[in-house]
Amino acid sequence: MTAAPSHLDLLEAESIHIFREAAAQFRKPVLMYSIGKDSTVLLHLARKAFFPQKLPFPLLHIDTTWKFHDMIAFRDKTVKDFGLDLIVHVNEDGIKRGINPIDHAPSIHTDVLKTQALKQALDKYGFDAAFGGARRDEEASRAKERVFSFRAAGHRWDPRKQRPEMWRLLNGRLGTGESVRVFPMSNWTEKDVWRYIQREKLDVVPLYFAAERPTILRNGQLLMQDDARLQPKPGEEVKMRRIRFRTLGCYPLTAAVESDAADIESVVAETLGAQTSERQGRLIDHDQAGAMEKKKQEGYF
Amino acid sequence: MTVQALRKSGASPSPAPAKAIVPLRELNGIVHLLTCGSVDDGKSTLIGRLLWDASDLYEDQRENVRKSGRKAADSDLPDYSMLLDGLVAEREQGITIDIAWKYFDTETRRFVIIDSPGHEQYTRNMASGASHADVAILLVDARAGVKKQTKRHAAILDLVGVKRVVLAVNKMDLANYSEDVFRKIEADFRTLCWKFGFWDATAIPLSAVYGDNVSTKSDAMPWYTGPHLLEHLEKAPSRGTAASGAFRLPVQTVLRDGQDFRGLAGTISSGSVKVGDSVTDALSGRSAKVIRIATMGGDLKSATSGQAIALQLDADIDVSRGAVLSSSEMRPVAAQSVEARLVWLSETAFDPRAGYLLRTVTDLVPISNLEIKALLDLETMSSHPSTHCNVNDIAVAKISLGRPAAIDVFSDISETGTLMIVDAVTGASIAGGVATAINAKSDAPTDGHFILTREMLANGLCRDLSLSSSDREEFMRRANEAAILLRAAGVSVAIEPPPMVDDGMDPGI
Repeated sequence: MTAAPSHLDLLEAESIHIFREAAAQFRKPVLMYSIGKDSTVLLHLARKAFFPQKLPFPLLHIDTTWKFHDMIAFRDKTVKDFGLDLIVHVNEDGIKRGINPIDHAPSIHTDVLKTQALKQALDKYGFDAAFGGARRDEEASRAKERVFSFRAAGHRWDPRKQRPEMWRLLNGRLGTGESVRVFPMSNWTEKDVWRYIQREKLDVVPLYFAAERPTILRNGQLLMQDDARLQPKPGEEVKMRRIRFRTLGCYPLTAAVESDAADIESVVAETLGAQTSERQGRLIDHDQAGAMEKKKQEGYF
Repeated sequence: MTVQALRKSGASPSPAPAKAIVPLRELNGIVHLLTCGSVDDGKSTLIGRLLWDASDLYEDQRENVRKSGRKAADSDLPDYSMLLDGLVAEREQGITIDIAWKYFDTETRRFVIIDSPGHEQYTRNMASGASHADVAILLVDARAGVKKQTKRHAAILDLVGVKRVVLAVNKMDLANYSEDVFRKIEADFRTLCWKFGFWDATAIPLSAVYGDNVSTKSDAMPWYTGPHLLEHLEKAPSRGTAASGAFRLPVQTVLRDGQDFRGLAGTISSGSVKVGDSVTDALSGRSAKVIRIATMGGDLKSATSGQAIALQLDADIDVSRGAVLSSSEMRPVAAQSVEARLVWLSETAFDPRAGYLLRTVTDLVPISNLEIKALLDLETMSSHPSTHCNVNDIAVAKISLGRPAAIDVFSDISETGTLMIVDAVTGASIAGGVATAINAKSDAPTDGHFILTREMLANGLCRDLSLSSSDREEFMRRANEAAILLRAAGVSVAIEPPPMVDDGMDPGI
């Protein structure tokens, strides 16, 4: 290599370093795979970290049963193409109780089908470390997050138990009952994620690209009618609009933007020139003040 | 009307930043900035101003600042420090050590702002933040000049290895933009910097509120001909561009692919390597030639500092996690004991009876004895003998290891000279430090110094293990844990090192 490394080269190397440290220090790690663009980059970095060996840990998808159908199809294709080991976990108890994002507040849906489900899965399989794609630039309360983020027994995030991190030293020695969330992409930004997807020519879920899709305008947000479970209320109508998504999650909780960006180049251009930060599209964040902070304390990322 | 009065009256319109042209290409490296100074020095306003003028802020973030109606102190200008809200501990989360990270891009560069609280008693916060920094901005108020706190900050920066320092002489507007005031502070700063190992120390006169010399040259200070702050920062070398120095690859893990591939994976922490080079394991002294540098993007002919790679060697020299592969001519000493400077991070004071471990870049080694010798006074840089050590203290310590480890002197090769003291029971990070001297000879065993022999381990605790390399790693892990237990019971203990290979080289060098 003759040219000086670009910022993406440096970020990639740092993420690989973190993956290798965690895989070496923890007994039973798992990669939290949520199918979106951040997970796509996270998975790519993990494959690079252990190449040519097979990934030394499985993927875990917490399925709320409300993900876009395109997401599930993309997940299954990815697993097949790369020969990955995937665990899908659903909080069956929550489903039986009929919890859903249409009739219940987003915070309840997220707590039961995401946060509780994640804890169930981590306990069930005895994972002591979980890789996540969270970034410090996402939100102010994450700006202080560590690369190795410790969780006390019961997956509780205790601010006093967070360890100082110096130089490139990562201390993963666990105390009794402790587990850790590992964030290899801590220092990436949303723009980096897209630039990297473009540079590495990574496939992403087609929902990131603009297409004519059935939509409902609700509370000023554009929702996509991904299946019959989401129906227009009186006064609302289902209308075809040219839309795409900046983030992906449970479809009734994810707002679309009207856009003509139908390929990676135009999505990158649109993102780099964007006038608003990405979390505007996540309805769960607007649910209550300090929402992210609260979720973190409870064990959501 | 003076320039200052003109500006205060709001006669000059609030500067509307040119719409940043966002690059589609990749940025020219990353520079990590640490800002040190108290809130009173205008730290948040300076960072906010830099973001406002030079970065790729989203329009909703700019709109928030405009709409808020909040004004910077004594002026009609927007309160740029708002852009740091949520970062500057306004919502205290109670994290033991708070460092907030903020990212912004100029047209050519990624900048990472590392913000740590500036109170005097927060040595540990600043030290942990500074350990990630490429450049530190020391902020002083032009009316106050270089203070005791500035000295403490410079001392901490030097301790953790920051090489580039900018003295931002802020609030020049309140000092009548006086050249005399600036020159006096600049001279004090020069005197101060002589004591330290900085490569570059530059003083810049500025006003964060009015934007003088922040991202544009100030009209109010025509006598200043140097670069403005952003110009200076954009010229600072990015991390990972220095390929000089002896080769070091701390091995993180061994990657396998069938029978043919055994890759020693890690991030090059110093120097460079190419196919055909001979590399040496620092501890055993065994050498082999590099036959392949593997990455998923394709094999490389050579690789340099900062790159994450996997090396395949022409012979199995029994290397696993914790080893440091080095240039054969200049390899680290196999340390039996280390002299170090430590920043005590933990609220729990040093306890001579506690079980401690030493974390190096990729190794975790039982400590057989940790001895605090002195504490450093950061204002005078003099040391006072002491056997105890508390939170925020900087200690001179001697660390005796339960088995040899590959460690460099920090001032020679920095990354492999960084250390972390870990509590063996809770796993907590107790102290961070740098190696100042390495001793290859172990101290003469004292009475009661117990040697955990390999034979004893092989016949008992490790009798189920084979000689495969993964089992040998497990052997070492169990030996470490046995040493920790004995140490916690008050037994001074050492682990017998693996037999040396006689290759005619002195393993101590």
